[in-house]
Amino acid sequence: MLLIILRRILQAIMVLLLVALVSFIIFRYVGNPVDNILGQEATLAQRAALEEALGLNQSIYIQYFDFLWKAAQFEFGNSYRGALPVSDLIASRLPATLELAITSAIIGVSLGVILGIYTAINRGSFLSNFILSTSLIGVSLPTFLIGVLLIWIFSVELNWLPSFGRGEVVDLGWWTTGFLTLSGIKSLILPSITLGLYQMTLVMRLTRAEMLEVLKQDYIRLAYSLGLTKKQIYFFHALPNILIPVITIAGLQLGSVIAFAIITETVFQWPGVGLLFINAVYYVDIPVMSAYLLLVGFAFVIINLIVDLTYLLIDPRLRDNQLKLEV
Amino acid sequence: MTSKPVKPLLEIQNLDVTLKNRDSYFKALDDLSFNVLPGEILGLVGESGAGKSMTGSAILGLIEPPLFISKGKIIFKGKRIEENAISVRGSMISMIFQDPLVSLNPLRKIGDQLVETIRTHINIDKAEAITYAKNLLEEVGIDRERFNAYPHTFSGGMRQRVVIALALAPNPSLIIADEPTSALDVSVQALILALLKRLCKERGTSIILITHDMGVIAETTDRVAVLYSGRLSEIGKTSEVLNSPKHPYTQGLIAATPRIDADSLKTKLYQIPGTMPDLSEIPDGCPFHQRCSKSIPKCSENNPPLLYDRASCWLLEKESV
Repeated sequence: MLLIILRRILQAIMVLLLVALVSFIIFRYVGNPVDNILGQEATLAQRAALEEALGLNQSIYIQYFDFLWKAAQFEFGNSYRGALPVSDLIASRLPATLELAITSAIIGVSLGVILGIYTAINRGSFLSNFILSTSLIGVSLPTFLIGVLLIWIFSVELNWLPSFGRGEVVDLGWWTTGFLTLSGIKSLILPSITLGLYQMTLVMRLTRAEMLEVLKQDYIRLAYSLGLTKKQIYFFHALPNILIPVITIAGLQLGSVIAFAIITETVFQWPGVGLLFINAVYYVDIPVMSAYLLLVGFAFVIINLIVDLTYLLIDPRLRDNQLKLEV
Repeated sequence: MTSKPVKPLLEIQNLDVTLKNRDSYFKALDDLSFNVLPGEILGLVGESGAGKSMTGSAILGLIEPPLFISKGKIIFKGKRIEENAISVRGSMISMIFQDPLVSLNPLRKIGDQLVETIRTHINIDKAEAITYAKNLLEEVGIDRERFNAYPHTFSGGMRQRVVIALALAPNPSLIIADEPTSALDVSVQALILALLKRLCKERGTSIILITHDMGVIAETTDRVAVLYSGRLSEIGKTSEVLNSPKHPYTQGLIAATPRIDADSLKTKLYQIPGTMPDLSEIPDGCPFHQRCSKSIPKCSENNPPLLYDRASCWLLEKESV
């Protein structure tokens, strides 16, 4: 058991080192940092001085370890634009993205699981079919269209909710939160629905399919024949058995929402890392891009590590012997 | 000759289960009638698809669309249950399935599953339920210390013991055992059957034992009902049916049972010619007549009723039982 956990953590570290390598290569070799910072007209002496200052004249291995060491301390150099430290830029943007991602994931996963179970249990009923076909529209419409539609209905026509920005935020020193003000919460609603809709559909369809499969199993038939109530059967026998695939997908979704909420952030002018990244790409701001890549990699690895450890919590067979996976 | 009739525990009267496929209807069970007496072990035997398991599901109300009960009564302890099987499910009738490897929820401790079933039907507190469950485990031959173990740590035979404990937990009057030993090693089969038989005799619990194994029928049951294409072919005391089968299908089944003796090495095992017809292709008349070596013209015209409370075969008209 402990061995399994240690092995998983070791794997996570290996993946992070690889991501860091890619991130480092982008940082070092996409364009020449010296050109990017000093421009074309710099003298050789200036260039040499900067190379010395940035450590670019050292061997590549030392540069990589240097990069790792700094990254571990959350230092990614300065942005080419405005010369602000990248870490400050990201730190100022990350709370917005994380709050949006987590809210939308909570909406998406909880609604998705509830509706998935409902449509599986009441298979073929009018409401189930209605939910299923509506959800199909949810996946087929592109995110930006849903965002714009929501803005049109709730901001322009009804004038209930703000159409852009984060509203008032409360500064907690190391974190700025929109959860504590009314305008902050109101601003969060539309973007998190926009972002959560697709996740909800995905989780719902997965939950439904898994549930239908599990309800056919013999242990469910035995539970029925033992006279257990439907509530006992659905929630204590069927639900635990669909958790593994649902958690896997929910985890991956959370990762991609953190990393790629770019469209939603653009539509709602949400001051998150996605918007920061888009601007970085636009201005070829290499340090920001490489730090962003590392951040995204880190988020995915941590989430997957948590997902892996949750497997062990759910399934005793994996705890006992992870090599012998009976299905 | 006349003994006082015992009031049956379960009566199945003229039961039809129909399969609806678009606009066509096929009878999966056709006019099935039989009784189960208190404390007896009734065997249900027949080829795959004869309707044995479906009979079990029908009794427990576990028939799902496109199948439905289209006619007949299921009477348990004097009450009709075909519309309201949930009232007896678990508490009075429980079921054991074929494959113990998939009959238990893999994510939950066996003790948990036992306590859950016990407390659903018996009004006792948790501590009492735990003691009750541990005693049950001991009765089926499992160390009570394994109360907190997960199903995957047990062998197939041990898991079937747990399933038997689950089925016995609410103290039912009837257990439907659907091929309870087919998935087990031969050496374990006899142990499990003996255990089931002993526990039920001790408690006066009746068993409907569904199987295709004539050997199991001979060893375990008091009476046997032979099904063919969803109809009752023959029913009677196990010793009588096995020693002097009246229906040609029963005769065929018995002849097709492998034996281990000196003769079996020399002779080829008998096979009933042909296969059981698909639901959509059941012929008019007796459903077995196309495979029957003794069929007479009448067999293809009219479906024989159960004659002399023994067998559904026109040949019985000529002789007396």
